[in-house]
Amino acid sequence: MCGIAGIFYKTAHRQKAPVGEQLVRMMAALRHRGEDSTGYTISGESVGAGSVLARLCAPNAENGAEFSAAMKAIQKLGGKVGTKKQIGQHLRLTFAFKKDLRAVADALLAIPGLEIHSLGQTSEIIKDEGDAVDVDKKHHISAFRGTHGLGHNRLATESQVDVRHSHPFWAYPFPDVTTVHNGQLTNYHKLKRIFEERDYRFQTHNDSELIAVYLADKLAHGAELIEALQDSIRDFDGTFTYLVSTSRGIGYAKDKFAAKPLVVMERDDVVALASEEVALRQVFPEEIQRSEPQQSLCHVWLN
Amino acid sequence: MVKLDASKLSLRELNTSLKKACVLGEEIHIANPGARHNMAVCILSKCRITFDGSVGYYCASMLDGPDVLVNGNAGWGFAEHLYSGTVRLTQNASLAVAASIKGGEVVIEGDAGARAGIGIKGGLLAIGGNAGYLTGFIAQKGRIIICGNVGDAVGDSMYESLIYVGGKVASVGTDSRVTDVTADETKWLGETTERLKLKTRKGTSWKKVESMKTLYHFDKLKLKDRHVV
Repeated sequence: MCGIAGIFYKTAHRQKAPVGEQLVRMMAALRHRGEDSTGYTISGESVGAGSVLARLCAPNAENGAEFSAAMKAIQKLGGKVGTKKQIGQHLRLTFAFKKDLRAVADALLAIPGLEIHSLGQTSEIIKDEGDAVDVDKKHHISAFRGTHGLGHNRLATESQVDVRHSHPFWAYPFPDVTTVHNGQLTNYHKLKRIFEERDYRFQTHNDSELIAVYLADKLAHGAELIEALQDSIRDFDGTFTYLVSTSRGIGYAKDKFAAKPLVVMERDDVVALASEEVALRQVFPEEIQRSEPQQSLCHVWLN
Repeated sequence: MVKLDASKLSLRELNTSLKKACVLGEEIHIANPGARHNMAVCILSKCRITFDGSVGYYCASMLDGPDVLVNGNAGWGFAEHLYSGTVRLTQNASLAVAASIKGGEVVIEGDAGARAGIGIKGGLLAIGGNAGYLTGFIAQKGRIIICGNVGDAVGDSMYESLIYVGGKVASVGTDSRVTDVTADETKWLGETTERLKLKTRKGTSWKKVESMKTLYHFDKLKLKDRHVV
C-alpha cells in the first residue's frame, strides 16, 4: 500500500503555516497504509542565495566520523559550514556554496556510510523508521512551519526496510525536488539503466527514487513541471500515484489504470491531498468538498 | 430512533452498537462519521441507517436487508457485495462502488470513480452523475444506469450485465458494444430514474452497452483448432 499526503498554502504569510504539524496528523491517520517508515518534505523559507540546506544521515555511525568527513569534503570544495544540528544518526547542515551542487553531492556520496536525504535552499527531507508519531517524537516534525510539504507512510514491497529506502526521495543532483510515491514502477530497471548511462547516480534500489530523478532531469532541460508530469504518465509503466514538491509548489500524477488512490481538497487559501479522505479530515474536520482524480491525470499548484 | 456519535466511539464499538440496534429493526442516525473506514458492514436485518457526513472505505458493504443513506462522499468499495436493501449516497463515490453486488439497489446521486459496478452479479447500480474508467468490468448479471457520461473501456469483458448511459460513452471495453435501447427499456429507465429521484436531461437518448460474448468461454479458438495440451 503506502500512504501519501501533501499540503500547499497559496495565501500571503504562508511561511507561518503549521505544515509540519498538519502533515504529522495526516500521516498518523494513514498509519494503516504502512508503518515501516515515515518521511516528510517540509518546504518554506529559503536559507538564502548562495547557501545550501543539507540533510545527511549515517545509519551505522558510531563516532560521527562520517559527518566530520562530510564537513571536510564541503570545505575542500570551497563551502563554508554554517549551522549544524545532529539528532541521532541524522544531521541538518547549512553551508555557503555558490557552485554546482553536483560536485558536493558526488563528494558526499563518496564517503562510505553517508547518505544524502536532501540538498536544497528552501526544503528539507526528514525521514526515519517507525510510524508518524515515532518520527515526530524523534525529529519534532510538528515544530516545522512552511509553505508546503509532503508526507509518506511506507509499507515496503520493493526494497529493504531502512532509512535509506524510505520516502521522500530527493532528485540527485537537483535542489529542492522531492517525491513521494504509492505504487510500483515495473520498468524501473530499464529506465534506471538509461539514467545511469547519462551519469545520474542512484542512492537506493527503490523504484520510487527514479521518479524524483526523472522529473528533475526534465526540469533541468527546460520543461515545466506540468509537462514533466504528463510525460511521466506516458513513460512509467506500472501503478502509481505520486506527489512532487519543488521550491515553487507541489503536484500529483496518476497512472493510466487509476490503481492507487488520491483525494484532493482545494480552497482559496490551501490545497490538501492524501491517499484517503480520513487523513484530510484530521486537518479539516468539517465536511469538505473533495474530488478524486481519475486515470492519466496530473496537476500542479505553484507560487 | 437510536443516535450514535461516531467521533466518540471506536470502530468496534460503533459497529457493535449498530448491529444490536439493527436486530431490533431500529432507525439509526450516525453523526460525525469523519470519513472513517469499515462502518456499518455485514448487517443482515431490515433497518434504516443514516450517516450524517462522509464515510471511508467499504462502508455499507456485505449488507442483506438495511436501507442506508449517506449524506456525503464515500471512499473505495462503497456498498460492495450488497444482497438486498438499498444504499444511497448524496455526493460522490470513489473507486469500485457496488463491487460484486448480488441484489438490492445502490444509488449514487453524484459521480462514481473508476471500476464502478465491477463484477456485479445482480441488483441495480444507478449513478446520477458521471462514471469513470472500466465501469462494469467483468459484470455478470444485474444492471447499471449512468445518467451522465461514462469513461473509457465501459463494460470490459462483461457477461450478461447491461449498462445504460444517458450521456456520452468515451469508449467501450474489450468484447462490448453500444446498441440502441428498446421501447420497453426506455420506459423502464424513465420510471426507474423517476422513482430513484435521479435527474436526467429532458429528451435523454439512452444508449445500451452489452457484451458481444466472443470471450464468453475465455477461448477464441474454433473447436477444430483446439488441442489437448
